[in-house]
Amino acid sequence: MRANVWSGRNTVQVENVPDPKILNDRDAIVKITSTAICGSDLHLYDGYIPTMHKGDILGHEFMGEVVETGRGVSNLSVGDRVVVPFPIACGNCWACQHELYSVCENSNPNWGMAEKAFGHGTAGIFGYSHLTGGYAGGQAEFARVPYADVGPIKIEDDLPDEQVLFLSDIFPTGYMGAEMCDIKGGEVIAVFGAGPVGQFAIASAVMLGAEQVIAIDQYDYRLQMAVNKAGATATINFQEDADIVEQLKEMTGGRGPDAVIDAVGMESWHGHGAIAVMDRVKQAARLESDRGLALRDAILACRPGGIVSVIGVYGGLMDKFPTGAFMNKGLTIRTGQCHVQKYLRPLYEHVKNGDIDPSFVITHRLPLGEASNGYETFKHKQDECVKVVLKP
Amino acid sequence: MSDKAAITINLPREEVQQRWTSSAPEIDGDVTFKDAPGDRGTEIHVALGSGGGPIDKLRGTVPLAKAKDQLRRFKQQVETGEIPRSEGTPEGESVGRKFKQRPAQPLEESELEKAGVR
Amino acid sequence: MPFPPRPVDTTLHGVVDYTAGATLLSVFPMLAGIEGTRSAAQIRTAGAIHAGYSALTDYPLGVVKAIPYKVHLALDALGAVALAATPFVTGQFRKGPRHWVPHVALALLELSSLAVTDPTGYGDYHGDVDAVRRANAEDPHRKIYNGTAAVRPAAAAT
Repeated sequence: MRANVWSGRNTVQVENVPDPKILNDRDAIVKITSTAICGSDLHLYDGYIPTMHKGDILGHEFMGEVVETGRGVSNLSVGDRVVVPFPIACGNCWACQHELYSVCENSNPNWGMAEKAFGHGTAGIFGYSHLTGGYAGGQAEFARVPYADVGPIKIEDDLPDEQVLFLSDIFPTGYMGAEMCDIKGGEVIAVFGAGPVGQFAIASAVMLGAEQVIAIDQYDYRLQMAVNKAGATATINFQEDADIVEQLKEMTGGRGPDAVIDAVGMESWHGHGAIAVMDRVKQAARLESDRGLALRDAILACRPGGIVSVIGVYGGLMDKFPTGAFMNKGLTIRTGQCHVQKYLRPLYEHVKNGDIDPSFVITHRLPLGEASNGYETFKHKQDECVKVVLKP
Repeated sequence: MSDKAAITINLPREEVQQRWTSSAPEIDGDVTFKDAPGDRGTEIHVALGSGGGPIDKLRGTVPLAKAKDQLRRFKQQVETGEIPRSEGTPEGESVGRKFKQRPAQPLEESELEKAGVR
Repeated sequence: MPFPPRPVDTTLHGVVDYTAGATLLSVFPMLAGIEGTRSAAQIRTAGAIHAGYSALTDYPLGVVKAIPYKVHLALDALGAVALAATPFVTGQFRKGPRHWVPHVALALLELSSLAVTDPTGYGDYHGDVDAVRRANAEDPHRKIYNGTAAVRPAAAAT
């Protein structure tokens, strides 16, 4: 089959690889009809995530049709249309039973590797380096889905792929980001990052009843999408005025937003001041793995007693974390890789009800063969690119 | 002086002890079972005789690393019914594989038997 | 572990360029104990030229973005070799180690930094945007600017 594989820094190519096979009884094989490139894939592409091997198939947002099931899978049949969540979760461990699917205790066969980096292993993830298990990803024609009796959700109506594909990752991730803000109605929420996850965080905050949602980014076209489509009520383009913290205070009557969502992560691109250059240099020299510019601003901007909700992906360590601000303002930081399996069914209901049309983020639908161009265009924000969907 | 390892299994103690006896993981040391607090299941504690020099550490055959792998494999088998296999490490978690992963690509037919799948 | 072996990107390379240029121009001859000699002048010249063409390079720390990054890297390599060759070409190496070791050491440093430099650079878009536009089944501009909101406010509020 054809698959998009990692071939070194800033290089992906579509190659012929063997077809996936059932390895365990609870596996299923899915023929992929749609798959997407995620912002976190760019950290792999840029070479910031260790344990990548040439030939690793990338991709963790995918959906398709079941073509084979292992003997232990009774809830799915051949021909079922499914969306596959990106964390691989067994359903049996304590974490899974408490809906903490992204930290499943059993699904990472390289748990010992991850333990060295994080103190504990976490769940396996499709196509996301060998630290998360070395699973083949979904930017391909077929994929093997472990624990298929727990993960995939059956799509039983005619909704097109584009409307349900993002249940796999970015919609639940944005939603979890907004949910962690404890929105009860009437809040002001600031969202750092108007990429696809930021767009869904904004849309979810709107759905949850926030009164004002402020989108922060450096690209006007993304801020436009946030306002026109995702329901943002105000925007900040930090290229025009780099002092985000001051602007947020002005926009909130001096109080600061009630909660701040970090949908940026480790490749924060917020070029102002010496600290930004230092961060870029240190990250290039691998002295610091994470650039935490957005996170620093989020902590400084959030109103005292507020919540900082971190859904941007971080990998290692950052320097200069504002512990004083964080502690003295009594902030709550809530974070995590999204526990997608917990949100699949409720969010699917919202899509079915017409409460949200997730396909709004898609600006590019390309054949799998254009994956390399897709990555480049997405990375460099060319051609007004927000989200790239690939069709195998 | 001994190396210690511990793991918690999400099942009641009698069942865990029974499964341990019947599957007998190859761990050379003292094994004790304890109830974990609350609803967390059962803790298994292993105390090994310390062993393995620097060469062993490099080759990943240090008894503690192997014991931890064995504990994890036991937990996976008992909680989920199978050992998770990935394309990078099709045999499941193993110390040797930490240094030499396959690329994250599906296996050829010929590799399946070697990986213990068929 | 297969991790990219070329960690130095354009920004870091720029920092090294200017730091090296400035150091060579100012304190290096004194530190190397060759102040006042021909070597000092040669090394200072090398530092000045290096800083000069760095400022004219098309990379994040360039002032006038004229010289392509890859050409800059080639100049770095050529410059390093030229600096190393200078004492032997002028014959001053016969005067003793102080008159050629600094040149060769600096050249080796430069060449090893080049060996860990990523030549593609961050700002290098190597995609084919025309191919993307032809293959795209969506119209990005329309998706962003046309149509109505995609979400119903308070639809998930409790």
